[in-house]
Amino acid sequence: MTIPLAHYLIFSGILFSIGLAGVLIRKNILVVFMCLEMMLSAANISLVAFSRAQGTDGIPVYDAQVLSLFIVAIAAAEVSIGLALIVAMFRATRSVDSTSLNTLKD
Amino acid sequence: MFESAICQIIFYVFAALAALCAIGIVAFRNPVASAMNMALSFGFTAAILFGMGAQFMGIVQLIVYAGAILVLFLFVVMMLDVKAEERFCKLPLFIGLVVASVFAGIVTYVSLNLPGAGSFSCPMATLCENIDALAVTDTPAATACVQAPAGYGGSLPALDSTAANLAANPGMTPECAAKATGYPDVKLLGKTLFTQYNIAFVILSFALFAGTVGAVALARKIRKD
Repeated sequence: MTIPLAHYLIFSGILFSIGLAGVLIRKNILVVFMCLEMMLSAANISLVAFSRAQGTDGIPVYDAQVLSLFIVAIAAAEVSIGLALIVAMFRATRSVDSTSLNTLKD
Repeated sequence: MFESAICQIIFYVFAALAALCAIGIVAFRNPVASAMNMALSFGFTAAILFGMGAQFMGIVQLIVYAGAILVLFLFVVMMLDVKAEERFCKLPLFIGLVVASVFAGIVTYVSLNLPGAGSFSCPMATLCENIDALAVTDTPAATACVQAPAGYGGSLPALDSTAANLAANPGMTPECAAKATGYPDVKLLGKTLFTQYNIAFVILSFALFAGTVGAVALARKIRKD
């Protein structure tokens, strides 16, 4: 009697949708970026849960965990570039508001 | 391993705390408070990964997310001296909430409708044979195969440390493996990573290198003269 796979998937889906809500709602681009990171880590949870669910003979399928390791590494690279972009954006507009990027609109 | 009732209670407590801290990221107006909530949320997520028996992924979650990424965020928040905003919504609040709730509802509905999701005791099932059967041009069999096997959404199959020790150490005798304590998670993960996915791993290091160079190039101050 262990926790069903479905509960892990629901937990991961809830975390992902909270991140989605943050990306949609928040104006501060730093917080939007934090929510993006949270969505990635929510995907990791479901990958690891699937690796357990597919496992045979008491050994999980490690391909899924390798994939989630790659996701973590890509997330680290993405954060370094994204934060550099945010710093460059702050230098250009003196704000971290995503609504202040409207040069092409007016 | 990981089957006792206390492990289940810990999972639900940590899942609730992680979701609560995740709401904190979105709800707090001060970005520093959001970053602190993110640290807590990632810590609880790492605890859930430990509970799933993925010790290495839990440690990576702590070191990379809660350690490196979060500190980077805090550096930038403090460097830019971001103030708490008065109006923090770019969309009407309810649109975001409706979209996110619909998504969460769909995921919950699909997960709960996996075969065996309602009951806690389900047989272990794998998709491997079904995928092999899909290659055969037998349409009724193939149609039956695209469905998840019975009990797929149920309990995760138990980890077997004896079998894992045997798989991790090829020269080990079964008697020796039965006596070995602990689950060789890192060893098995490393075996997969450095044999099957070695080329992808090397290419990944190029991606990290490109990230480093790109960050330096973007954040560098451009001289006007």
